Amino acid sequence: MFEMLSYDFMQRAFIAGLFIATLASISGTFVVLKRYSLMSETLAHSALVGVAVGLVAGYNPLWMAVIVSILAAWLVEYLRSSFSIYSDAVLSIMLSGSLALAVIIVSLGGAFNNSLFSYLFGSILSVSDADVYTIVAFGSVSLAFLLLFSKELYFIAYDEEVAQTSGIKVKFLNFLLVTVVAIIIALSIRVVGSLLIGALMVIPTVAALQYRVGFRNTMFIALFFALFSVVFGMSLSYYFSLPSGATIVLSVIAIFILSLVINRK
Amino acid sequence: MNFKAPIFEVKNLSFKVRDQIILENISFEIFTGEYIAIIGPNGGGKTTLIRLLLNLEKASSGEIRLFGKKLSEFNEWYKIGYVPQRATLVDETFPATVEDIVKMGRIARRGIFAGMSSQDREKVRDAMQKMDILDLKDKMVGTLSGGQRQRVMIARALASSPKILILDEPNTGVDVVSQQRFYELLAKLNKEENITILFITHDIGVIADDIGRLFTINRKATICNDPKALLSCDEVSDLYGIAAHSLANHKHEH
Repeated sequence: MFEMLSYDFMQRAFIAGLFIATLASISGTFVVLKRYSLMSETLAHSALVGVAVGLVAGYNPLWMAVIVSILAAWLVEYLRSSFSIYSDAVLSIMLSGSLALAVIIVSLGGAFNNSLFSYLFGSILSVSDADVYTIVAFGSVSLAFLLLFSKELYFIAYDEEVAQTSGIKVKFLNFLLVTVVAIIIALSIRVVGSLLIGALMVIPTVAALQYRVGFRNTMFIALFFALFSVVFGMSLSYYFSLPSGATIVLSVIAIFILSLVINRK
Repeated sequence: MNFKAPIFEVKNLSFKVRDQIILENISFEIFTGEYIAIIGPNGGGKTTLIRLLLNLEKASSGEIRLFGKKLSEFNEWYKIGYVPQRATLVDETFPATVEDIVKMGRIARRGIFAGMSSQDREKVRDAMQKMDILDLKDKMVGTLSGGQRQRVMIARALASSPKILILDEPNTGVDVVSQQRFYELLAKLNKEENITILFITHDIGVIADDIGRLFTINRKATICNDPKALLSCDEVSDLYGIAAHSLANHKHEH
C-alpha cells in the first residue's frame, strides 16, 4: 500500500482521486435525490465532446471538457424547464448525441488513440501536476457552492414546488447545481473516465440510502463509500495494471451490493 | 376578529390552457384571520386556483395581490405556509427525519450564510409541539402513518411563522380518525394563533361548524358568506348534484 505512494504519479492520482470522490459523492447526493441520476451520465458524455475538440484542435482537453459540459448542463436544464419534454428523454437524446459527436470529431481529426481511451475509462498514469491543480482549484469552488446552498438544494430535492412557494430561488439553484455537477464531471474524467464517472456520483448515495438515516448521515456515508472505493479501486489499478475508472466503479458496486444485503428487510 | 387587512386580493382572474377555459373571471378577497374552505368537483379548477395564488402558474388575465403587492413583486413567501395535495405521499426512501423536514420551514427565513439560530430551533420545536410530533422528531418520515406525515407537513409550514396556511386536499391518504383530529388542529390554529386558513376539501360536512366562508369552484367561483346557511346554499347542492342535507348528514358518519 505505502510502496505505491512512493511514486509521484500515484501521489497525484490519490490527491485527485480523493478530491473527486468527495466532490462526486456530495454532489451525487443531490443528483440522486432530485432523480437526476441520468444527468451525470449525459454530462459525462458531453464532456467527451470537449475532450475530442481539445485533442483534435490542440487545446487542453480538461478545460474544453469543463466548458462543453457546462453548456450541455444549461441546455438540458433549459429544455427541461421550458418545454414539455420528459426529463429522461432530454437526457437520453443529449447522451447519445454527445457520444456520436465526440466520435465523429475524433475520427475526423485522426485522434482515436490511447489518449482518448484514458479519457473514456480513466488512468492513474495520466494525471499531471496541472490536472491536480485544476481539480483542486475548481473542485474547491464547486464544493463551497454545494455546501453553501446544501440546505436549499435539499429542500428543492424534497419538493421543488413547496421550496419555490417558500421563497427559495429554485430555478437559479437548479442551474447552479447542474453547473457544479458539470464541472465536477469534467474534472473527474482524468481519473475515473467519462463512461464511468456517473457511477461514482450515483452509486455511493444509492448505497447510503439503504441505511435509511437522515440527510446529513446519508451524505457522510456516501462520502465514506466514495473515498473507500477510490482508495481500493486505485490500489487494484496499480497492482493489476487495470484502468482506474473500472476498478473504482466495481469497488463501489461491491459496496452497494453489500449494503443491499445488510439492509434487506 | 379583525378582517380589515386583506391577504389576497383577486380581481377578474382567468386561466386558460390553449383554448380551454379552466377558471373564468374570478374575484374575491381573503382577510386576516379568516377560515375558508374551497370545494368543487374534480377538474373544476380548485388546485389551479391555489397554484395561481402561489405563483406556480401564470394567470391568462386578471390580477392577484398578496399583502398588497403584485405576485411578481412579492418576496416574503415565508409568510405563506403551503401543504400540497400529495404531501403525505412521501417517497419512503427519501433520507429525512421529521426534524429535517420541519427545519425546511425555516430555510427561506434564514440568510444564505446563516446557520440555525436559537430562534430557528425554538420555532421548529414549537411547530413540532403544536402538531404533537415532538416525540417523533428523530423518526424517518417514510416510516410514519398518513396522519403523522400530515402533521409533519403542517409543522413544516408552521415553522416559518406563516400568516396564512394554504392546504390542497390535505386529507389524501389519511385515516378518518386522523382527519377529525386534523380539522380540530386547523380550527385551533385559526382561533388561537389567528392564522388565516384556506384549504381545498371534499369533507364540508365535517368542517361546517368551523369555517367562516365557503368558496365553490367549478370554472367560476361562488362564495357562501354565511356559515350557518352553508349547507343549504343552492350553489353547493348544484355543484355536487346532490341535496345539501346529504352533505350535512355526512358529518355524523364520522
